[in-house]
Amino acid sequence: MRVLVVEDEKKTAAFVRKALQAEGFAVDVCHNGDEAWAGALTTPFDAIVLDIMLPGRDGLSLLRQLRQHSIATPVLLLSARGEVNERVDGLNAGADDYLPKPFVLAELVARVRALGRRGGESKPAVLQVADLRLDTLTRRAERRGVLIELTAREYRLLEFLMRSAGQICGRMAILEKVWDYSFDPGSNLVDVNVMRLREKIDADFEPKLLHTVRGLGYVIKEPS
Amino acid sequence: MTIRTWLTLWNASMLLVALLATGALAYYELVIEARPQAQGAQPAGKSAKEPAPADIIEIAMFCSIIPAVALALAGGWWVMRRTLAPVTALTQAAEQMNEHNLGTPLPRTGSGDELDRLTEVFNAMTARLNSAFARLREFTLHASHELKTPLTVMHAELENWLRDDRLATEQRQRVESQLDEIQRLAKIVDSLTLLTRADAGQVVLGREAVRLDDLLREALADAESLSQPAGVTATLEACDEVTILGDRHRLRQLLLNLCDNAVKYNQPGGKVTLELHRADARAELRISNTGRGIPPEVLPKVFDPFFRGDASHSQAVEGCGLGLSIARWIVTAHGGTIRIASEPGGLTSAIVGLPVPVDADRQKTS
Repeated sequence: MRVLVVEDEKKTAAFVRKALQAEGFAVDVCHNGDEAWAGALTTPFDAIVLDIMLPGRDGLSLLRQLRQHSIATPVLLLSARGEVNERVDGLNAGADDYLPKPFVLAELVARVRALGRRGGESKPAVLQVADLRLDTLTRRAERRGVLIELTAREYRLLEFLMRSAGQICGRMAILEKVWDYSFDPGSNLVDVNVMRLREKIDADFEPKLLHTVRGLGYVIKEPS
Repeated sequence: MTIRTWLTLWNASMLLVALLATGALAYYELVIEARPQAQGAQPAGKSAKEPAPADIIEIAMFCSIIPAVALALAGGWWVMRRTLAPVTALTQAAEQMNEHNLGTPLPRTGSGDELDRLTEVFNAMTARLNSAFARLREFTLHASHELKTPLTVMHAELENWLRDDRLATEQRQRVESQLDEIQRLAKIVDSLTLLTRADAGQVVLGREAVRLDDLLREALADAESLSQPAGVTATLEACDEVTILGDRHRLRQLLLNLCDNAVKYNQPGGKVTLELHRADARAELRISNTGRGIPPEVLPKVFDPFFRGDASHSQAVEGCGLGLSIARWIVTAHGGTIRIASEPGGLTSAIVGLPVPVDADRQKTS
């Protein structure tokens, strides 16, 4: 998978490049909008990570131009402003996802991976991590055959974590996908709900599946 | 004595003096001058039965002193009104001024008189104030924007460290704790940006029909999950059906924010109650807690940015101190009011009043 990173801030660009390369992606970096425009026209990228504030052509106009030229490469917008309006503007301009700065690197990687997958594999109806099963059709969760009672919110949380099994899910991503908050409402809502979910799926069972990655987020994974 | 009374009395006395002078002149001409003539022309006996025209005029003139005083007062008042009208207009216009409409100049009469000049000077002053406010907002916006880039870099750097398996447990804990602080800083910067942009009128709110009761029921679920670990119970006491026009995301943020506060400032075994009432064109939302309460002298300050209340207590409470400022912005942006009522040792409630448009129920709920 080949990714174009458009970010004028050199250090941030270097970190993003390193993190994406560590995932096995081929990464090209541009530091301004015009360079990126030339690159995107000539090279078929699988995903573009695009900062909004750029010298020369800014991210949003670049994005509009790409879409006008029927270049449908999935785009993840980055912005230091992180406001709802901007998110809506970005999605309207044709972005596929949006991440406010400062972001968790692991989350950026997860989102780029998701962009590359988009439209590819279909979502499985039954999710399984070790002996934890979640049937998304009947909305039933069970571990080792024992039915686990979940509230609506806990169900959505578990589904999101299990769909990204093995990947760290940042608080922001959880707030967005499970609570439909596109900004941090300033509460430890995610933490208390993960805690409650952990009590239900992990307290009476071994091995533990739901882990906290302090400073970064949460992950459901099989013990290696 | 106000300028108003002073001017009225001054004008009235001037008018009265003028009236009396005219009266005295007329008296002299019509009565004093006319008498010898009359005495000479008519026999003395007749004048006793039929009063001479001069006498009638004399009586009439003395009787008209009281109406003259009244007339002078009325005239004085009227002249005062005319004189002070531009000042009154200026006062009223200045009263409407706040930090958001400093850019609108006060209306000028254009007559070039002293008051017009005063208005001009006043306008120049508010224009300077306005640009000072604007510069301050610009500064905060730039500052928060510039802060985010190094925060992103620091976050990424620490994150990369954490990936290093050779990191000793103690070092790992240090890095993790720094990550926590960076995230806290990022949150403060985010909230500051939001408040500054809101202040500058740059945040556009959605305006769709929103079922407030649905949002409140949803907020109850969140309040329950927040309150359980704190040993607090959350209940929904009343929930009238209310549809308002507003921004769904921001209203959800408001509810979560108030619920979050009600849990944070509660004590173990305490209660959080949610109520939503509708009265005609107004919805009243009340979120109460049984915490230790807020002293009355502190109440007016709770909406100020970074105000954390009782220092000894706030140590234990997480948050960046901007939550209630944001809550107030969301409410006022929706044309509503918010206040906190607290009886020490009793209930502390956040009371939000929001306007309910008459035809909101008929609009498509989304």
